[in-house]
Amino acid sequence: MEKFLKKLLNQPWIVVGLTVFISALFFMQMKQKSRMETDLDKYMPQNHPAFAYSDQAEEWFGINDGIIVAIENKNGIFNAATLDTLKQLTRRLQKMEEIEKADVTSLYTADNIIGTEDGMDVKAFYKRVPASVESLNELKHNVKNNEMTFGRLVSFDETVTVIIAEIKDDVFTQEFYEEILSLAASYETKDIIIHVAGRPIVEGTMALLGPADMKKMVPIVLLVITLVLFIMLRSVKSTMLTMAVVFFSVLWSFGLMAALNIPIYAVSTMIPVMLIAIGVADGIHLYSHLQLHLRENPDASKKEAITDMLQQMWKPVAMTSVTTAIGFVALLTSQVYPIKYFGIFTAFGVLMAMVFSLALIPAGIMIFGLPKVKKTVKNKSNKESDLAYGLATKVLKRKSVSVFVTAAVIILSIVGMQKLWINSSFLDKFEKESDIVLTDKFINEHFGGTTTLNLILDAKGKKDVFKKPEVLKLTDQMQSKLENDLEVVGNSFSLTDYTKRMNKVMNADKEEFNTIPDKQDMIAQYLLLYEMSGDPENLNKVVDYDYAKLNVTFQLKSDNSQALNSAIAIIETYEEDFDKHGITMNYAGSGYKGLIFTDLILEGQILSLILSLIIVIILLSLMFKNFKIGLIGAIPITITALISFGIMGFLDIPLNTTTALLSSIAIGIGIDYAVHFIEQYRINASKTDNKNLVAQKTMAHSGRAISYNAIVVIAGFMVLLFSVFPPNRELGALVSLNMFTSFVGTVSIMLVLLTMSNVYFKKSEK
Amino acid sequence: MKNLQITTAIIAMIIAIGFSPEVTGQILTGKQIIEKVYNRPAGDDQTSDLTMTLINKSGAQRVRKIKQFTKDLGDVEKSIMFFLSPADVKNTSFMSWSYDSDQSDDQWIYLPALKKTKRISSHSKNDYFMGSDFTYDDLGDRKLEADTHKLLREETMDGKECYVIESVSKDEDYMYFKTLVWVDKSNFLGVQKEFYDEDEDLLKILTIKEVEKISGIWVIINSEMKNVQKNHKTTIILSNIQINTGFAASKFTERMMMRGM
Repeated sequence: MEKFLKKLLNQPWIVVGLTVFISALFFMQMKQKSRMETDLDKYMPQNHPAFAYSDQAEEWFGINDGIIVAIENKNGIFNAATLDTLKQLTRRLQKMEEIEKADVTSLYTADNIIGTEDGMDVKAFYKRVPASVESLNELKHNVKNNEMTFGRLVSFDETVTVIIAEIKDDVFTQEFYEEILSLAASYETKDIIIHVAGRPIVEGTMALLGPADMKKMVPIVLLVITLVLFIMLRSVKSTMLTMAVVFFSVLWSFGLMAALNIPIYAVSTMIPVMLIAIGVADGIHLYSHLQLHLRENPDASKKEAITDMLQQMWKPVAMTSVTTAIGFVALLTSQVYPIKYFGIFTAFGVLMAMVFSLALIPAGIMIFGLPKVKKTVKNKSNKESDLAYGLATKVLKRKSVSVFVTAAVIILSIVGMQKLWINSSFLDKFEKESDIVLTDKFINEHFGGTTTLNLILDAKGKKDVFKKPEVLKLTDQMQSKLENDLEVVGNSFSLTDYTKRMNKVMNADKEEFNTIPDKQDMIAQYLLLYEMSGDPENLNKVVDYDYAKLNVTFQLKSDNSQALNSAIAIIETYEEDFDKHGITMNYAGSGYKGLIFTDLILEGQILSLILSLIIVIILLSLMFKNFKIGLIGAIPITITALISFGIMGFLDIPLNTTTALLSSIAIGIGIDYAVHFIEQYRINASKTDNKNLVAQKTMAHSGRAISYNAIVVIAGFMVLLFSVFPPNRELGALVSLNMFTSFVGTVSIMLVLLTMSNVYFKKSEK
Repeated sequence: MKNLQITTAIIAMIIAIGFSPEVTGQILTGKQIIEKVYNRPAGDDQTSDLTMTLINKSGAQRVRKIKQFTKDLGDVEKSIMFFLSPADVKNTSFMSWSYDSDQSDDQWIYLPALKKTKRISSHSKNDYFMGSDFTYDDLGDRKLEADTHKLLREETMDGKECYVIESVSKDEDYMYFKTLVWVDKSNFLGVQKEFYDEDEDLLKILTIKEVEKISGIWVIINSEMKNVQKNHKTTIILSNIQINTGFAASKFTERMMMRGM
């Protein structure tokens, strides 16, 4: 290996040429094939039983998320102007290419089935906009007397009415959203305000906003990192070469992804984040070593200097990179494909960063010359050394402080972790004051809720079970229980509502008949009548052809995991009762899938975290040929992960797809710091028996490089605190935190334990 | 629940007849062909057993068996239907009186579980008949002048020499932008019809699978309507067809609905 690297030194232009050539090839691939995946369903493991069932149920009952267009008039909606706006907007939406005509529901499209003295009447609420006071009053009366409309399509305070347009998961684009927004805006007047909300809007905006914000922020992050790196290394050449390593490794990762036709998922935007944080490390360590070597041997030729750098440093660089890469490969255990890809391509990027650091940086130095070592730098270096020596001495003098503080921090973190909660909410990722959150809140205040949870009752193919009065009564009871007991459940809807409505209608609209009839024949005949009078498609959304499967829809006022879980908890109390009828319970819909998905990600993340920790310990034990070192080396990682989760718990930052992935960074960085430090410690220990001196020297060498690394990345990621997208802000804060704790953990408790373990001194004593 | 005389309706709508095969050498216009299709005798009364099967996209079926009676009384056409199965709706019955004048239809329903006859309001022509893929309009008569007819071409369909006629609606609000019908040259019976929606996309295909001459009148006894956009279809099969038996007009009363067949 060393020989090969030295040979490469003689052919610097070939190295540079080859790198640029392959990069160009990857770049072409990216230009041709890179595409962003915004359909969240594509992120989910399709063969997971919960998803497979949900997808099937969505197919059976045509369950789709709806865009909600709410028309608000403070003076009430029962006037010609508002009703005309409702009609026009409904028709415009029906004509949009992305929306199926039949999937648009509003007061304008709805059927009003009413009972009369001698029979039944099915009519539209209105077709021509009512102009006279009498016809407006009649419409108002009809709406208020129809429980399938009042509170669902028109708010109880009569100031808001909604249009619901269901769309397929994959049709949402930025253009489509803007088209709807401008359409809505074009109908606004002094009195009429129009709001647009709904899960497709939230999901779509999130899928677009996150990466778009990243695109804006990453260049600034890179700029700041470059600047700070320059201040640290005091050399334009060194800075540029280090950044080139990061740049090429990111380019190659995404290039390879494009070449393999793998789309860019939202989590893929974390790959550059990881590679920036990890990629600069190799460069910093190499240059740090080079500078120290030049300080001691000011007259060394560039070839001598580089040879020494490679000789001393190739091992730790390779060790850190391989260990980190394997840590990321552990993510393959996840059931979620985008996470697997994230793991593989980050690992690939990390290995490429290693290759570039060991080949491109030396080649670059050969071509552009050594970084200048100025006198001022020398003075500064001395100060730095003093600082490092002092720190090492202090740490070793007060070993108990490190141990005590670490123990306290670990205990505190574990306490904090108890408060950690999982959140699959999309809405919670937006600013509290953003339009999207405010609109959602507004609609939730006036209607049942913008989030739906579908409960699928399945009689396992037994026909006509859902015509049985006792089964429908049980379902109705469960629906009322949820609506009454849970603030967050605003509404529910199923076959029971149609049955009750028909019973009432056929009994001259008397309220006491708003119940489930006692005879199966009666239910069957009502449903037949409904089918013949109303829109039969409506029934297909709540029950299957054989009356063997039922879809119960609950409307929730929040999409966070706690809300969904509280509804599910009450539903589950009915499991036994339904079981007596041979009916099983399953769930469907995007809210539920989001919940399961988040659980899956976390489960996978925790599993891969433990797995990579074990792998890291084994690898370090093998590399340093000592199991104790393996354990000691894992300390910065463990502390970083614990503190990260602990602080999230205390600060009420929930675990979600982004924040969970951050634990991977703890591993990447933790290993880097630990390996470099231990390797340097080992080298120093072989030269002297003075523990204090070994610690001081190691601190001045590796400790210095590690601190540079930490400062550079922290400065860079602090930039994300100015992001407009809250998850990206959390990301910036947590990456910075992880860098900081890894650094502190390495130079304090790890050094203490390293010293106390006596591993390298026992050897030298022999 | 309008003209529940499905048979006649279907026949009228689609198609046709014409007893005498086309006179050799005479060239017919699209309008003349459709006129021959529309003006086909249908008999004064009819009794039949009807099996309607709804098939959804996953292949699940809903089968309904109905006994129906229809009678043309000159200015009013009356029909009555009794459900035979499924069991839980057995004896449910519908009656409809539809008038030649502008007067809207009168309709009643009898639910045996409720033991009451109820009057129900009339449907719109765009409504689907009993949850099937046929709209009331598909089943009713259409006026010759409502569309612009054009003979597009002649071609063989299912081994039959056919005219292909395009009928574009004159009314822009009509649910179909246009229809295409394949008419058998030999007897002026429809073989297939395609329905195009307002966006001019193919919406449904009606296929006549079997016709039979009963008492000298052509009757379609097996047809299938497929909604290609929803991948949903309905088949209607008639059996025990009797034409011009001359049953009494007094059959069409609320009392008869409750009494059953």
